Amino acid sequence: MEIRLSCILLAAALLSGCSWFHRGNKAPPEVVAEQPQGEPSIIEPQVPRRAVKTPHIKAKDFELGGYYGVLSIQDFGTNPLYGVRAAYHVSEDIFLEAYLARSKAGTTSLEDVFPDITVVSDSGRRFTYYDLDVGYNVLPGEIFLGRGHAFNSALYVTVGMGDVKFADKDQFALNLGVGERLLITDWLAVHVDVRDHIFETSLTGRTKNVDNIEATIGLTVFY
Amino acid sequence: MRRLLALVLLVQALHGGPANAAANNLVLVVTDPYLEMHSGPGRGFPVIYVIGRDELVTVLYSRTDWFKVRASRGNEGWVRRAELARTLLETGEAAPIPPYPDFASHRWELGAGYGVYNRENLVTTYADFGLTTSLDVELAVQQAFGTLDNRYIATLGVRHTLIPEWKWFSPTAGIGGGYQYIQDKVPPAPLQKSNEMAYVSLGARGFITRRFLWRVDWRHYVVFNNLNVFEDLEEWKFGLAVFF
Repeated sequence: MEIRLSCILLAAALLSGCSWFHRGNKAPPEVVAEQPQGEPSIIEPQVPRRAVKTPHIKAKDFELGGYYGVLSIQDFGTNPLYGVRAAYHVSEDIFLEAYLARSKAGTTSLEDVFPDITVVSDSGRRFTYYDLDVGYNVLPGEIFLGRGHAFNSALYVTVGMGDVKFADKDQFALNLGVGERLLITDWLAVHVDVRDHIFETSLTGRTKNVDNIEATIGLTVFY
Repeated sequence: MRRLLALVLLVQALHGGPANAAANNLVLVVTDPYLEMHSGPGRGFPVIYVIGRDELVTVLYSRTDWFKVRASRGNEGWVRRAELARTLLETGEAAPIPPYPDFASHRWELGAGYGVYNRENLVTTYADFGLTTSLDVELAVQQAFGTLDNRYIATLGVRHTLIPEWKWFSPTAGIGGGYQYIQDKVPPAPLQKSNEMAYVSLGARGFITRRFLWRVDWRHYVVFNNLNVFEDLEEWKFGLAVFF
């Protein structure tokens, strides 16, 4: 009788002990999947997953560079021009571009004939502009040099607006341009551009729109 | 000439050059029957090489929607994003080709546009950071070209997109403050060279395609000056922006 009683007590203690240990574990309720007879059970191996860091793909959508050329300032002759440009290529067709450049105007015909007359002061002859443009690659393609070399290129058009500071005054200017981009390598490009800066001025007596056309050659780096 | 050579070498050094390109690049396994490599990053460039199924391809870098890759035999060319996205990692997982940024949850906007400020031409640029899908912080830097003066305007404000779920057209409203600097063109000089301002705005924005969106905004400014009556100004502007 005593042995029987102690067996029951021991079993009860064991059961309660087991349930005590389970309390801390918070194991999910065991779900026994119904398996078709005769098929081996699927065992998931307890292998810790290795954290694999995949390398990052570098995007080279930005273009930065400089250019040099000539600017024909209407009524003020043709003069050297230098500037910097930055572009972001949004798609294979469209890019956004910003330009900053500087030139210095010459003399008007009136000033040449009558040297005593001054239309613009010396400091006012500085011609500085910034442009914000949208560009479209109209004719992308390849340019061949001999039999062995092919360079990617694109003929593009740009349209935009900006500020021209001339004769010590800021004017709102529209820009229209056409250019050719020739990629020497995937990251180095040569640009040839012709662009027009159109703004309203009354420097020579009457108010009119003037066209200031530039022709430049530039070098840019993609990064 | 020496200067030019030095400049080229400097650019090459800064750029990393081709020597560094192979250091730690993504390697993918082709799962399509073949992967076409084009000679340039554009739809019209001819196919110059084809990589077969189960071959490895190394991704060097991307330009817009195209990826410069190198085949296991060393041939290099450009692969379209959609095609490269169907490859796998060597571990069998999907290739981590970043998808287009999602318009609904984008964070950054950078844009520029044209406008009319106080009946004068305005060039505007702005940067916008999304705190939530409907609330943004917006910084605008603008230049207005008047006949009498030239103004530089910088504003900072918050903008609420009223119905962000409407992708193509959603009205917006905002408030903010700013600063304008006046540069006179014609005498007499203005009483104050610079003013603080506050504005309310109403507008709209919508998705165009890929990474583009359009914006239209009307703003009413109150310019704080040292006179008894505050100056009221109106501004209209529209622009294009890129989102990230």
